[in-house]
Amino acid sequence: MHIASGLLSPSVWAASAAVSGAAVAVSAAVAHRYVDERRVPLMGVMGAFIFAAQMVNFPVLPGTSGHLGGGFLLGILLGAPLGVIVMASVLVVQALLFQDGGIEALGANIFIMGVLPCLLGAAVRGLWLRPKPGAATYAVTLALGILAIVAGATGAILFLWLSDSLPRSVSLAQAIGLMGGIHAGIGIVEGVVSAAVVKFVLAMRRDAVLGPLAAEYAKGVTP
Amino acid sequence: MTSYNRRTLVVGTAIAVLVAAVISYFASANPDGLEKGQEELGVSGPVHPAVEVPPVAFQEYNLKWIGEGFWSNAIAGVAGAAVVLAILLGVGWLLARGKAKAPGAAST
Repeated sequence: MHIASGLLSPSVWAASAAVSGAAVAVSAAVAHRYVDERRVPLMGVMGAFIFAAQMVNFPVLPGTSGHLGGGFLLGILLGAPLGVIVMASVLVVQALLFQDGGIEALGANIFIMGVLPCLLGAAVRGLWLRPKPGAATYAVTLALGILAIVAGATGAILFLWLSDSLPRSVSLAQAIGLMGGIHAGIGIVEGVVSAAVVKFVLAMRRDAVLGPLAAEYAKGVTP
Repeated sequence: MTSYNRRTLVVGTAIAVLVAAVISYFASANPDGLEKGQEELGVSGPVHPAVEVPPVAFQEYNLKWIGEGFWSNAIAGVAGAAVVLAILLGVGWLLARGKAKAPGAAST
């Protein structure tokens, strides 16, 4: 769901680049609190996995495909700051080497596929860190996974609308409705895949998912 | 490097390579949701000046010299995943530098 080159006006791409740039800068500034040597390999392989998974377009509606976003999953596993750093790295490589997403749209793409879904993922992180995540955890993860994708697509439409790139014949509400509908299906896959990957990684490396704040979690405090 | 970190790297990289090299070859060629939605809304082509980067080695997710094909896609995918992995291990190492080893790190 990368915004291509040539669709954002200079003021919109500059503003979105400023916002996402600030988000990445804040993430980098606080990241040392969330990183330790247990988490570095997890950050690396999750970035590689999300890059790979984004190549796999699955069919959703006739003539339409979707691919994993990944930011939501990262928000759950690593929290928002590290999630944003991983997602920004993936998007930079895609834009610079693979012509996937416009260079000037990088800020907007980091916002819709990084900042937004990472924050939503971080919101359900606490549920997954309890001793036995139950049905409620899965339900909330699915719901917020759908929301992460629909919100990202809505963000993309807002950026296009602000850039005057939508035809005059369509209203903003129509455009959001259409995009939301298409992306709800993709969001279901996002939610299900995210839950499955989180379960897999938790079973393998609970320590790396908990990170340096493991002691606080053990005491029942969610930092 | 501790064995559990090595195992994470090996297992994680193996999964990423499998997805990037093999599974991605069977991906749907249809436009993704955003592209399809833009088509239906009548957003066609660049409206504003586009900022193009000339392809260095890859034409989308294929090697630019040999066009589409299983190996072209596989090499491009694995190379991209490797670049992301390398960047993040570097960034992560810089961020974690100077930190004491976490207590109880080997508990799993």
